[in-house]
Amino acid sequence: MDAALVVEGLTRRYGAFTAVENLSLQAATGKIMGFLGPNGAGKTTTLRMILGLVTPTAGRVTVLGEADFARVRNKVGFLPEERGLYRRMTPVTAIGFLAGLKGVPVAEARRRARVLLEAQGLGEAADRQIRHLSKGMAQKVQLLSTLVHEPDLVILDEPFSGLDPVNQQSLETLIRSLADRGATVIFSTHVMQHAERLCDQVVLMSKGRKVFDGTVAAACAATPRTLTLEGAFEPGDVDGLPGLGERTATRLDSGAVRVVAGLRTGAPAQETIRQAFGRGMDISRFEVREPSLHDAFIVLTGGGAPPE
Amino acid sequence: MSRLLRIALREYLAYVRTFGFWLSLMLLPVGLSTIVVAPLAVARSAPVPLVTVVDFTTQKLRGDVVHALATHGDGGKPAGILVEAPGAPFTDVADATARLKPYLTGPQALPGGDRLDAAFILSPAGDTVAVNFWSRNVADQRLQAVVTDAVREAVRRNRLERQGVDARLLGAIDSQQPQVSVFSPKAERGQVSLKDLLPGYAGFAMGMLLWMVVLTGAGMLLNSVMEEKSSRILEVLLTSASVPEIMGGKLIGVAAVTGTVLAFWMTIAGAILTAKSPALASDVAVILLSHGRWAYFGLYFVGGYLMFATLYMTIGAFCETAREAQVLLGPMMIIMTVPLLFMIQSIAHPEAPLLRLLTWIPLFTPFLMAARVANDPPLWEVLGTGAMMLGVTGLELWVAIPAFKTGALATGRFDIRTFAGSLVRRSAP
Repeated sequence: MDAALVVEGLTRRYGAFTAVENLSLQAATGKIMGFLGPNGAGKTTTLRMILGLVTPTAGRVTVLGEADFARVRNKVGFLPEERGLYRRMTPVTAIGFLAGLKGVPVAEARRRARVLLEAQGLGEAADRQIRHLSKGMAQKVQLLSTLVHEPDLVILDEPFSGLDPVNQQSLETLIRSLADRGATVIFSTHVMQHAERLCDQVVLMSKGRKVFDGTVAAACAATPRTLTLEGAFEPGDVDGLPGLGERTATRLDSGAVRVVAGLRTGAPAQETIRQAFGRGMDISRFEVREPSLHDAFIVLTGGGAPPE
Repeated sequence: MSRLLRIALREYLAYVRTFGFWLSLMLLPVGLSTIVVAPLAVARSAPVPLVTVVDFTTQKLRGDVVHALATHGDGGKPAGILVEAPGAPFTDVADATARLKPYLTGPQALPGGDRLDAAFILSPAGDTVAVNFWSRNVADQRLQAVVTDAVREAVRRNRLERQGVDARLLGAIDSQQPQVSVFSPKAERGQVSLKDLLPGYAGFAMGMLLWMVVLTGAGMLLNSVMEEKSSRILEVLLTSASVPEIMGGKLIGVAAVTGTVLAFWMTIAGAILTAKSPALASDVAVILLSHGRWAYFGLYFVGGYLMFATLYMTIGAFCETAREAQVLLGPMMIIMTVPLLFMIQSIAHPEAPLLRLLTWIPLFTPFLMAARVANDPPLWEVLGTGAMMLGVTGLELWVAIPAFKTGALATGRFDIRTFAGSLVRRSAP
């Protein structure tokens, strides 16, 4: 694999607390990688180590083929989780300034800034001070300042937070377009739907450790499907049905019982349902549900069984 | 353009484009003009008080008072205009007081319709004279002083004349002043002139200027870093440039801002001084530019600015609000008043042992040595304190660079133990 990012045995400790432990991963060039995990999982610390902001206690990071981040910083774009810009600067000067720091000549940086702002519908705001822009507009400006130097690796820390649905959709399109032009995109998020729609690879973190690394399909496959049976029967009636794993039973207001059970890997759901009917169980509703990334996230990060 | 210069340029333009910059630029010229012009303007615009004098003495003091009122005013105007006492003659002090009071406290006006402002009632009091001063404006001590001095001088003269001293002889004696000449081995021609006193004043002025500029610049940097930290711009900057580039760019940018203000102020001051007193301007220029003093001032400016700016920037990287920064800045400001107090002493006692000792404290060196250097202190002290100042500044930069990064990425409230710990350990995040 042609890797834009290689992380090997990365560890960061703060005194007795281990924020990230022995993390290894690779991000393929031109692909989109989702970096997922609950709060405190070590995502931001990992991203900071990749960006050379935090020194690892152990392990190494290779970004775009370089072990020294300073050598490739002009080819990397970074959007931090908490955002802000110089409030008295205009979008054009702010984007131009940050592009300048990434080695883009001033005139070219400003030209690109205007083109990007026009493309994002911010042309009219190009010369207004940022303090006069709405929060959403300012967030867009900051995102554009991350991308204006056309980086080969884009790292976005919680890029969807604070955006309305329309802007979230627009950001998804933008991320796809980055990958289409060959850039590698790594983003952290709590919202699994974005990762599910966008990512070629997801890395799940929990308590400083990697708990999954692979495709969205593989993450879902690692999580059991669920079978829901609802009807006028007793919870114990499902005992002995083939393929069922852990299950929960709930008595509904109507007096009916709902059983939600995990299906063991490879177990055919049809056989389980056929045997249930064969036992004469009064089943009014059944549903086999394929796991979502959200389910996989909860199971893999130790949050318990996937929700119904 | 390098990252360092881009950051410096942004920092410079960020300040130059603010109203506050132009305000501070104009502050000194406008402030100085105000100090000079305001008292004159007030004196010129104030009406001359109408005064009456009632003399119960036998010494005929009224003429002396009238003369003093006419000749001791401000801005070419008399100190007071004498008017006849309404209702005169009076039987005694009590009668005069009772009958003049309505003119001073009530609505009663003088015959012409004018208002009486003050009354002096002079009466015998043993060997001397009692002066009862009645005035609408109790704060006007000038008028009281003019009349009191005139009465004192007249009483003294009358008494000496009664003792047989001729008035002309008395005048001649009073006009005699000792011819004082001041000499010093340090004076250019032996005899001390204003030119010989100028180094002390010039040194004090430079020390003060340095103190103001360094602390103003350091304060600007503190605010700038705090703003960038609280808005998380610092995190983005750290992925785009190295810590020395960020700190260096900011240092240069703010130094350029303060340099612009300083250059403007000095140009204005120089132009005014040259126009008013070309000889004095020339003497000041000689003092500042000879014996390599300009280089010393430059050295102390760079050293002092680097020392304080680095410290303030590092504090700023740990704080998100001015209140948090105040934990350290409060004690710092108390410490920084020490050189201010001793700089004043450097005019009269540039070689005082305590002053010389304090110049070896690196935090005070830039200001106290700038104040002393015009008086040509021993070379070994100049070199020694300069080397110590630069050494401490270098050490501070070495410690501050990783600490700045630690602070920039730290979250939560400012904690002085974390700050001190990061300085001691040179901890990188």
